[in-house]
Amino acid sequence: MKKTLLIFVLFLTVDSFSQNKQILYNFTSVPQSLLTNPGSDVKYNWYFGVPLLSGISTNVGSSGFSAYDLFADNGVDFNVKLRNVVFSTTRNDRIALNEQIELFNGGFKIAGEKGDSYISFGMYQEFDFMSYFPKDIAILALDGNRDYLGKVFNLGDLNLKAEMLSVFHLGFHKKVNEKLILGARGKIYSSIYNVNSTNNSGYIYTIPSSQGVYEQVIYSDLQLNTSGIANYDNQDYDPNVIKDITKRTFLGGNLGLGFDAGITYYPKKNIQLTASVIDLGFIKHTKEVESLTFKGTYRYEGVIPNFSFGNTAEDNYEEFKDAVPLDTLYTDYTTLRPTKFNTSIQFSFEEEVSEDCNCLNYDPETIYKSAIGAQLFVMSTPRTPLVAFTTYYRRKIFNSLQMKGTYTIDSYSYKNIGLGLSSMIGPVNFYVLADNLLEYRDITKANSLSFQVGLNVVFKDKKK
Amino acid sequence: MKIRAIHSIFTIVILNLFLSSCASDLDYNQVNDLRLEPVIISNFAYFDAQANEFVNGGVEQNVFFDAPTVDVFSENFFTDKLNKVDLFFEVNNTINRSYRVDLIFLDRNNQPVHFSNFFIPAYSGTENVVRKTEIFQNAALNLLKRTTKINFTLIMFPGPPLSESSVGSLKLRSGVTAYFVVE
Repeated sequence: MKKTLLIFVLFLTVDSFSQNKQILYNFTSVPQSLLTNPGSDVKYNWYFGVPLLSGISTNVGSSGFSAYDLFADNGVDFNVKLRNVVFSTTRNDRIALNEQIELFNGGFKIAGEKGDSYISFGMYQEFDFMSYFPKDIAILALDGNRDYLGKVFNLGDLNLKAEMLSVFHLGFHKKVNEKLILGARGKIYSSIYNVNSTNNSGYIYTIPSSQGVYEQVIYSDLQLNTSGIANYDNQDYDPNVIKDITKRTFLGGNLGLGFDAGITYYPKKNIQLTASVIDLGFIKHTKEVESLTFKGTYRYEGVIPNFSFGNTAEDNYEEFKDAVPLDTLYTDYTTLRPTKFNTSIQFSFEEEVSEDCNCLNYDPETIYKSAIGAQLFVMSTPRTPLVAFTTYYRRKIFNSLQMKGTYTIDSYSYKNIGLGLSSMIGPVNFYVLADNLLEYRDITKANSLSFQVGLNVVFKDKKK
Repeated sequence: MKIRAIHSIFTIVILNLFLSSCASDLDYNQVNDLRLEPVIISNFAYFDAQANEFVNGGVEQNVFFDAPTVDVFSENFFTDKLNKVDLFFEVNNTINRSYRVDLIFLDRNNQPVHFSNFFIPAYSGTENVVRKTEIFQNAALNLLKRTTKINFTLIMFPGPPLSESSVGSLKLRSGVTAYFVVE
């Protein structure tokens, strides 16, 4: 129990990547569902999130291996476990962390003649880390190249990014008619720091040769971009991390712009279709920018005496450093935010006949007790997009307690069962959402876990 | 009533999540047991001296010499983590003269730390290859690590005269197998 809590705290502090919020998506009794679809069919007069507590979400994922695979205290030599992990993973396996904490969040309704409009706004801080597994480089480090004559080691396996940023957002949501709701959200990103090395290529190979013993070539086109951390490398710089982070959080960092859009459509009273695109945006890195490059081609032939001319051959290592130099650049660069696409279809049933029923209202939560549905999540990554498919069951247990159970298949797991609960006690909304529940039997063996919790004050729409 | 029920449900769900969950023992200190043993193969040395290069202006040159710098051993990573080295040499002579090839490994003070000698008979129409593998460990390896230069000397022994149109070559290929231990 103690260890479970400890690991949870660790997850909370290390700030997700897969960023699939399959339980929150379209779970409209939680106002934060607006962040996954600005066109969600929400109903409230106004709401505000309890500052710092309204939305805390963490998500950690590792396809290919778990903490247990590497660190199990089971008497097996660590080096044996490491080899098993390296050789059982592929270059497309990845480790990812994502954390979001809302600093503030709120929204209110603007009543209209044809339909209501909603304004929502807020600010959150986010941390993202993602690294593909650098398989070929790991094999070189473990085994060297002797047993891999003819193999082309791919330096493009090195692919990682990390970013901490704050996001200010303002959303508008309009009920166009009884069947259609549209929403959009503008975002300003302020990047606190960024580390990005995602466009790498290159190779190293060794093959038998008739000239030397081997033909051995390295071609390298590697680049690591950073912003916001160059100063910490400077010995004359007196670091004040808290001051730096605070300043950059409040628009003092590298700035960017983004856009979310969403739609909810009811072709029939009990059938709902939704779609959203989130974080279609970029950040322009111009402040405290420092990039390292390692680019060039070198063919290593060994020590070659030059008898004919009496000139000593060049030093090999110096020659290599000249051919594939490690350079530092200070040029601006732009990163794209990981863009997320969600879509869902939902069938509602068990119509609730209440005394004050307003049957013109299309809100399935007030008219239907239960719903089943399916969702698709796609997110851009430096390589192939991440795709997750979810089916769910949503149930109103009481007027003030909603439940959503999910089953998700993605590249991390094919047995991801999640559960979300959202309660309304008076105006206080409390929600807790967790996935991969089966993995809680032994969380050290989990490939991914996500957890979201939050507290809001919501004044419901009394019209219905 | 409902509020109590909601409380109960939340309590049950959350407690169930935490209490029924468990975590196997993990030991992160195992990282300290990390031991990488990569074996790297690479070219070590190479030359291919053509028969006509031994003749200059109609006069045979019997001794050739060059001492190129070897700077890989001066990198700390290589010297600290290197546990064993195999040097493989192959000299192929297709010239109708016999040769001696001397490799003298020199340290920064030009003091010899290792010798490798090869005697290669004259070519007589059949394969004429001399191969040798030298293994360096412990004290011999420590000497090798001090190498900053290799003095290559070719000595051609008397025999049928060579001209600027003579064919054949004296070719040396050498590869290294370096055994690293990184802990």
